Amino acid sequence: MKAARTYLTASALAIGLMSTSALAEELRFTVWSGNEAHLKMLNGIAESFKATHPDVTVKFETIPAADYTQKLTFQIAGGNPPDLGWMMEDAAPTFEKAGVLMDIGPSVKAAEGYDFGDLSQAAMGLWQDGEKVYGIPFSTSPFMIYYNKAMFDEAGLDDPLALAAKGEWNMDKFQEVANKLTEANPGKWGFEFKDGEGYASRVMHALMPPIRAYGGDAWANGECGFDKPEAVAAVTQLHDMVFKDKSIVPPGEQGDYFSGNSAMTINQISRASKMPEAGFEWGIAPLPAGPGGESPVIGQAAIVVFDQGKQKDLAAEFVAHMTNKENVATMAQFFPPARKSVLESDAFINSNKLIPADQMKNLGAAIAAGKVLPSHEKSPQILAAMAPRIDGLWKADANVEESLKAVCAAIQPLL
Amino acid sequence: MTQRQIRIIYRTCWTLALLIVAIPFVFPFLWMVSAGFKSVTEIFGAPSLIPRVWRFQNFVEVFTYQPFARQYFNSIYIALAVTAATLVISSLAGYALARMRFAGAGLLMLFLVSALMVPEEVTIIPNFFLIKWMGLMDTHWPLILLPTFGPHGVMATFLMRQYFLALPKELEEAGRMDGLSRLGIWWRIALPMSRPALAAVAIITFLFSWNLFLEPLIFLSSLEMFTLPLALSNFTDTYGLPLWNLQLAATTLAVVPILIVYLIAQRQIIESFALSGVKG
Amino acid sequence: MTETALQQTTARPKDAPWLSLKYREMLEAWLFISPTLIGFLIFFLGPLVAVVYYSMTEWNLLTQQATFVGLDNFHDALFVNPDFWHVVRNSVIFALGLVPLNMALALTLALALSRPFFGVVFFRTVFFAPVITSAIAWAIVWKFLLQGEAGAVNQMLAWIGIDGPNWLREPNWAMAAVIVTRVIKMVGLNMILYIAALQAIPRDYEEAARLEGASRWQIFRMIIWPLLAPTTLVIMVITTIGSFKVFDHIYQMTGGGPENGTLVLAYYIYQQGFEFFDVGYASALAMIMFIIVMVLTVVQVTVRRRGMQ
Repeated sequence: MKAARTYLTASALAIGLMSTSALAEELRFTVWSGNEAHLKMLNGIAESFKATHPDVTVKFETIPAADYTQKLTFQIAGGNPPDLGWMMEDAAPTFEKAGVLMDIGPSVKAAEGYDFGDLSQAAMGLWQDGEKVYGIPFSTSPFMIYYNKAMFDEAGLDDPLALAAKGEWNMDKFQEVANKLTEANPGKWGFEFKDGEGYASRVMHALMPPIRAYGGDAWANGECGFDKPEAVAAVTQLHDMVFKDKSIVPPGEQGDYFSGNSAMTINQISRASKMPEAGFEWGIAPLPAGPGGESPVIGQAAIVVFDQGKQKDLAAEFVAHMTNKENVATMAQFFPPARKSVLESDAFINSNKLIPADQMKNLGAAIAAGKVLPSHEKSPQILAAMAPRIDGLWKADANVEESLKAVCAAIQPLL
Repeated sequence: MTQRQIRIIYRTCWTLALLIVAIPFVFPFLWMVSAGFKSVTEIFGAPSLIPRVWRFQNFVEVFTYQPFARQYFNSIYIALAVTAATLVISSLAGYALARMRFAGAGLLMLFLVSALMVPEEVTIIPNFFLIKWMGLMDTHWPLILLPTFGPHGVMATFLMRQYFLALPKELEEAGRMDGLSRLGIWWRIALPMSRPALAAVAIITFLFSWNLFLEPLIFLSSLEMFTLPLALSNFTDTYGLPLWNLQLAATTLAVVPILIVYLIAQRQIIESFALSGVKG
Repeated sequence: MTETALQQTTARPKDAPWLSLKYREMLEAWLFISPTLIGFLIFFLGPLVAVVYYSMTEWNLLTQQATFVGLDNFHDALFVNPDFWHVVRNSVIFALGLVPLNMALALTLALALSRPFFGVVFFRTVFFAPVITSAIAWAIVWKFLLQGEAGAVNQMLAWIGIDGPNWLREPNWAMAAVIVTRVIKMVGLNMILYIAALQAIPRDYEEAARLEGASRWQIFRMIIWPLLAPTTLVIMVITTIGSFKVFDHIYQMTGGGPENGTLVLAYYIYQQGFEFFDVGYASALAMIMFIIVMVLTVVQVTVRRRGMQ
């Protein structure tokens, strides 16, 4: 009895302590998606790599998105880096400058039939430094307006897609319809920031679309842009909508668009997969234009190879495989591509079962014209320095211009 | 009013006051369990401890979103391993400090006492590099080694020492007469007589490991290796958004079993903590 | 270390002849202690020494390049970085709020629960339950309860006509919320320590005083409180150190926000070292934390000792 118990404890220990030791020909690939459909597709691509590399398997490892960059840092700093991984746009410069990303330019350019020039230059901007290539974007996803068509119809309003077709979809109109929708639906709101997280983890996602629509930016050439007149005007409008009109879900409240509590929200195409279970009629439309014209905002993610990895050349070959024309077309069902040939194809326009072709065309246009979210080598510090000042901004009695000046004062030394 | 009536009124008032004070101690648990059965919309809707729609699905989805069963197992076996290691090591050292005379004992005690004062945040960065150097990143070894040998282990050592000091000497001498070695005395005589202290160390150590957060946060990066507190703080979907109802269902699953054990053995558990504090 | 089980006269022929009994005993003792000692040196003392060196380098966690910079990190913290003093201030406020509140509540509850009465076990069990719960779970639940208007706390306050603040979005309220929820979580431990101390006080003392006509308050003030002094000191030291250690609670509940209102030293060290990769600066902060905790402990012990004389 005693021996049995000792044995059990010992084997429990052994099972638990077994580390994930890699085989010689296994590539470890970190992703932040645990979605079954995503993983199935990724595993399919890995399977097709066997045609040229029969002994190579790829193990996709999910790290929860909220902590992804942090955990990746621990793995790299801890001497246990994956071979490849997804990387978000805001983390790219930090990792690039730290020298932990491999230059995969030579590998991908040498790959047979790769056609490097087919990748949109605008999309590659963040991942290239001269001749060096640090990543290939697999998702170049513009921010779009999601709207609850039923709520617009009930309020007797033109929906954003119709307004956009008429050329009337701008920031003023946006404020106006948000207001009317709020009045028509007591207890609900006209607009919700991206994922309802606009005051915390998605600050940049909340602020950038209007600021860019007004012709401003977060920063440019080492200079803070939040206190420039364009940004101040844009944020003032948002602030009014939250606290005067009360048409945007305010801080500390839950007005989830996907459960029908807000008429509009901003999000990326990947979220369309949540719509069927939402149970109302819906559509997607471009972001409202502003005094600065139309200026789509893009969130981006790329595949990178880690320089410390033991099989980095093999990993680079896999990147070339994964981002060739065929596989990019496959991935386009979930992730908007950066390859011009795929973007322009009919197959892409019809790739998403949930979204009609005319709306997909808007998406394609946004990818072509869009600008990636701001990023910086010191992104973590900048975001942390911004956070307390942004907290001060989102109060009813806040002075928007002063708050934005405080944001700039806090981040300027870091830029 | 009679003396007796005054007494009763006095008692009632006290009890009522205590009941009111007890609300913030009890309500979070009740709310947690109830929210674990709710949909996200209902969690943020009108507060009611009885869910309108019982969403048992939450407790199933917890296991599909993360390898939650595996994480649960990790927490249990790590806590058991830490407890076993701490019991052996601290009772050995505690015995020597209480029962044996050797040069340097005083200095050693002083050294060890000072460790009790030092927050683990102070040494976490060098330990990060140490564990990296040992090649133990993303394994469970640091979660076993650091608590066993850190300030908590020292605390356990002192607790054991305190208990051994109070044991009657005669029994040990009898053991010696029977030809037992020091190790034999420790194992055959001292330990069996120290069940209360061993139980206290075991209970406190198990809970200490079970609730550990900073170390898992820093040393673990694969989902299958996570422990419960880390998994709980990490219930986010593919886009990094919190899955409120799943998080609360998972929290319920993590907290309730411990709570049940506590309710059954509350006297023993509370006494263990009392013992740990008294030794200073 | 005044007593020892060993009696020289019981030496038996079995003892190794090449080693005197005294040395054999010493060797055995060190062997008994060696696992603790070796682990302690590797995982505690070594790192403690290393952190002194780290604090004098500029060291990026990601690039892993270290350069010796002398006392620059300390200079940065103390004279350049405005966040540092804000963080120290927060930590001090946290401790000043938490320690007295915790101790007062613990003592009150202990006085109420030290004697048997109907329901005493129930109350002790209830007040102690949060102690055994993980801080992460506790903070997750309270984060929900303290939501703006939808949160249960504000809904309850609304019943009695109080319009509660948006707790976790106002710096001062957030600090208050973190302190109070932490006290609720940990007060049971101190309560139990006080109960143990109270039960150790002989009843005769109190009876004698009562016969002499002393009021309840007088009995507490003149007899119980002085007798509790050693326990109070222990509790004060443990609670103060504990208040500087708090990490998981803040990590989960506020992440240091809003407006850095709950950014305390333990969290700041983690942030600088592991989120901003600034190992050198974080190590300097760790050194400062170490010094603060040491000084506080010594001060408390000295003050109490003087007070008792």
